[in-house]
Amino acid sequence: MIEILQSVTYGFQVALQPHNLLYCFFGVLIGTLVGVLPGLGPAAAIALLLPTTFKITPVSATIMLAGIYYGAMYGGSTTSILVNIPGEAASVVTCLDGYQMALKGRAGPALGIAAFGSFIAGTFAVIALTFVGPLLSNIALAFGPPEFFSLMIVGITVLTYLSSGSMVKALMMAGVGLILSGVGMDTISGKYRFTFNIQTLLDGVGVVPVAMGLFGISEVLLNLETEIKRDILTTKVKDLFPTLKDWADSVWSIVRGSVLGFFLGIIPGGGAVVASFASYAIEKKASKHPGEFGKGAIQGVAGPESANNSAAGGSFIPLLTLGIPANPVMAILLGALMIHGLQPGPLLMKNAPDLFWGTIISMYIGNGMLLVLNLPLIPLWVKVLKVPYYLLYPLILLFCLIGAYSLDNTVGDILIMIIFGILGFLMKKLRYDGAPMILALVLGQKLETSFRRSLIMSQGDFSVFITRPISLGFLITAVLLLIIPIITQRKKLSTLEAE
Amino acid sequence: MGTLHQPGPGFLFFWIGIVTAILALIVVLMSLKKPSPEAIQERLFGKGHVTKIVLVLLSLFLYALLIERLGFLIVTLLFFIFLLGVIEKKKWLSTVSISLIVTAVSYLVFETGLQSQLPKGLLDFLRF
Repeated sequence: MIEILQSVTYGFQVALQPHNLLYCFFGVLIGTLVGVLPGLGPAAAIALLLPTTFKITPVSATIMLAGIYYGAMYGGSTTSILVNIPGEAASVVTCLDGYQMALKGRAGPALGIAAFGSFIAGTFAVIALTFVGPLLSNIALAFGPPEFFSLMIVGITVLTYLSSGSMVKALMMAGVGLILSGVGMDTISGKYRFTFNIQTLLDGVGVVPVAMGLFGISEVLLNLETEIKRDILTTKVKDLFPTLKDWADSVWSIVRGSVLGFFLGIIPGGGAVVASFASYAIEKKASKHPGEFGKGAIQGVAGPESANNSAAGGSFIPLLTLGIPANPVMAILLGALMIHGLQPGPLLMKNAPDLFWGTIISMYIGNGMLLVLNLPLIPLWVKVLKVPYYLLYPLILLFCLIGAYSLDNTVGDILIMIIFGILGFLMKKLRYDGAPMILALVLGQKLETSFRRSLIMSQGDFSVFITRPISLGFLITAVLLLIIPIITQRKKLSTLEAE
Repeated sequence: MGTLHQPGPGFLFFWIGIVTAILALIVVLMSLKKPSPEAIQERLFGKGHVTKIVLVLLSLFLYALLIERLGFLIVTLLFFIFLLGVIEKKKWLSTVSISLIVTAVSYLVFETGLQSQLPKGLLDFLRF
């Protein structure tokens, strides 16, 4: 307990340094902007802005990139409520009741409760993170290569299990991601693989250009095909502070959303999108008047908006303590940390306490900033939404191009990005999920190294994966997740979306 | 490749390749068995703006191929003029002025501010 208190004070010392405060501010501001703008999600934004952090310390960089993620969770609701288009994926459900509230002239309370709910949930998640993080880190210290191998297998399996489309397709994407991760030099033998004598491929396929392509370029291409029509509500937004009745109606939704979101955030493949859908479903069940949902029920805004923020906080846990990303955004953040020369995992807390605690504590501060910033800036965001798409998409593309080039100052990364942009476009058309691919790509090298180290350790005996209890437990979970959908009809998320 | 007990560099990927191929086969078989209603309704390229997408992709590839030869400033200016003027068919005056502003601002932010070392290309002699 005292140890945690000391660490927290230390974290504040790091996070309150003026330059870190500034980067935190930049992060949440850019995050909100990204959240507000439809067609640009936090995954693409973090990948795009990664090169801008090369000149600053890893701590400041992580604080800023983390800020983009949870900032986007705040921003997304604004667009959902005012325009009926989700600013980013985790705010899809907010459209249902948020826009209805806005039509009834209650845009103010909707935006207000979304912001306050987000703040409460975000803070809850960070407090939980403060306590659960070190605990998990200590447990994970006992993990050897076999445990890590099995853990990563479980992580990838859960993600494919929860992914929105067909599980077979999701597994395929994971396989493709793993193969992509093998491109370049084999770290154990020093041999080159899958390079086809192409100079660019000698260094491997980077996570960041792939993510920019899959989540940035392909999104632009999709939007170009079917241009979004935007009708921004022109009514004046007033009464941002929810009334006492609004609070009474939504306080339990916020509490439920916070707790649910946090746990769904920790699970690989869970994350903010799943959390918001689950919260909406639960609120509808828990309500005495389920008929009001879809017609402007404030619970339908408060619950999901809390859940997605809480999930954003929770998803930092597996990344910071195990080095295993729970969703694509965390996968990119993992890539970012590795570019900055850090190796996320159980040792991170010991080796880089300034980064570990500084980032966590900066999230308290960032959540506070967001609450203060968000409500007064809403008129500004409305103006941003009026920027026509013919101006917006060239800018997004330019950012992608500069971002990809300045990763390594090579044209090769730009080409990788464009190719994965086309691929991502086709994948969305044919309903292949990009998330398992990114996760597998970022985990691939670790997965292979731990696999081969395990076998070196056991002198080639495969039973090493099942004789160690923790490893066995992970593998059983993975096998169950693969078998369950075959036996029973899996209740898909897509059916939830259709409701 | 290596053996089962002493896996070499190709071992894991060989098996992942086989598993992925099997999964692909399953998808093919499933789609042959019962074509999903969604797939029939939605053609790969609907009535959308296919030419626009092709043109945008073309400009992206050209950007990549020319950036080191012509330099960041020239390529970015041309890229924007192409996107706004040719693809979006905006008025030439606004196209050129927006392109100039964007090029200048992005150069200031990334080169002067963040020191990204963008290629100078043809303008190398200017040394600014």
